[in-house]
Amino acid sequence: MSGTYTLPIGPLHVALEEPMYFDIKVKGETVESLGLSAGHVHRGMESLAMQRNYLQNVVLTERVCSLCSNSHPSTYCMAVENLAGIMVPERAQYLRVIADEVKRIASHLFNVGIMAHLVGFDSLFMHAMEVREIMQDVKEGVYGNRMNLGACTIGGVRYDIDAEMNAFIRGKLEELKPHLEEIYGIYTTDPLILKRTTGVGVLPEADARRYGVVGPVARASGIAYDVRKKTPYCTYKELNFDVQWDTKGDVHSRALVRLREAVDSVSLIEQCLEQMPEGPIELERFVEIPEGEAVARSEAPRGELFYYLRSDGSDTPHRLKWRVPTYMNWEALQTMMTGCQVADIPLIVNSIDPCISCTER
Amino acid sequence: MLPFLKVLARNLRQGPSTDPFPFAPTYTPARFRGRAELDAEQCILCGICRHVCAAGAIQFRAAEDGSGMEFRVWHNSCTYCGLCAHYCPTKAIRMTNDWHLSHKGEDMYSFAETKFVKLGQCAECGATIQPRPAAIVEKLGARYPERFMLCPKCKRETLANHAASRKVIRVEEAR
Repeated sequence: MSGTYTLPIGPLHVALEEPMYFDIKVKGETVESLGLSAGHVHRGMESLAMQRNYLQNVVLTERVCSLCSNSHPSTYCMAVENLAGIMVPERAQYLRVIADEVKRIASHLFNVGIMAHLVGFDSLFMHAMEVREIMQDVKEGVYGNRMNLGACTIGGVRYDIDAEMNAFIRGKLEELKPHLEEIYGIYTTDPLILKRTTGVGVLPEADARRYGVVGPVARASGIAYDVRKKTPYCTYKELNFDVQWDTKGDVHSRALVRLREAVDSVSLIEQCLEQMPEGPIELERFVEIPEGEAVARSEAPRGELFYYLRSDGSDTPHRLKWRVPTYMNWEALQTMMTGCQVADIPLIVNSIDPCISCTER
Repeated sequence: MLPFLKVLARNLRQGPSTDPFPFAPTYTPARFRGRAELDAEQCILCGICRHVCAAGAIQFRAAEDGSGMEFRVWHNSCTYCGLCAHYCPTKAIRMTNDWHLSHKGEDMYSFAETKFVKLGQCAECGATIQPRPAAIVEKLGARYPERFMLCPKCKRETLANHAASRKVIRVEEAR
């Protein structure tokens, strides 16, 4: 009981079905410190991107990650458009926002669902996943696939919403709203959830700033940082929404921030459907990409996503590099986990919503 | 106390949410991106589908007698992104909503959409030219449909004859 020993956790299925390996120094049941090691799902995607042309890379970047699979191509397209000076039609920009927000709702519901599963509350996990199916139906019905929407293309979007689709999406959102409200109620009041998640994995604001965390992890620790508000892209400037944040910085408040954001996303989609002007969805098809550099950033479900692109004037990028939110967030696990119980490790890992396939690509 | 019990009771009452597939039909949306299909009559062999295919699933192979090209999209390499269908100028390639893609291991090397696209023939001399389906004639050859069906050589000749007959260029003087 008195000595410290090292507990290997992972690399398989720590919280989500993604590999992540920890060397955890424990004393009894209490975590003293941890070492992270990465690289289990490195697929060399940045190198693959340099071997494919600009149009093929729209598809490649979509396959970096499954849960934020629309944020990657849309940010990549924004970087290419910034470099080539392409104007995206207004309707296409609204359609991009809709695709992003649909993915955000599904991603956040997935994460809070997994949290219930890790708490041991499997019936709530099943319920959250069933509610998420409403959004999966939207994706399949409007875009044609449950995960990879294929919504973006350089210079615009690939799909349009007609009157029939508009009614379909609105119907699904109406169906979703009471469920979201109900789930939020359960997560705020259920004694089982509260007991396991409040005060666990606390990340104080000072530490959050030191690690430079982003997304719901930062917002739950009192940093109201959202790229959609700070540097609005697409049409977020014309849309009405608040940055959801909290000051407690524990596992519970991160889940609640995500649920509130999902509610906001529903309203954002509705606003888009209402305000969206008629017009073209794509202007130019095959644009020459000049020599130069460009960056673009956006708010993915997990936080700020950043793309850097360098072109030498050929039809293949000279360098394509992206920084994903999990890269900063998982370093903060060191603070969150110190002093926690061994049983809380998966819960804390899940609370940063890690996306290993994005980070290691 | 335990606010979830209400939801639990409701979900129990509702019964299963999943479709009883394969014992009963399941719903497939019209826009679902499934197996790619080519309409050989519409294809102009421009090759943009192969250019944008991130997976390299699309191949063209010239026929030995030079009468056309064999188009092939391997379903097992395809990522069902639909980029080929999006960029196809004549909408010859499209994503059907057929997702029944299971097949035997021995069929692995034949599991592809294979179509033979015939090359066009010059209306004048019969030389081989790119295919000229109606869709592309309407789009690009609407002004001079007859001339659009010719090979470059015959096209030049017709243009020259046309110009000479209207005495735009006096052949004698030019010499």
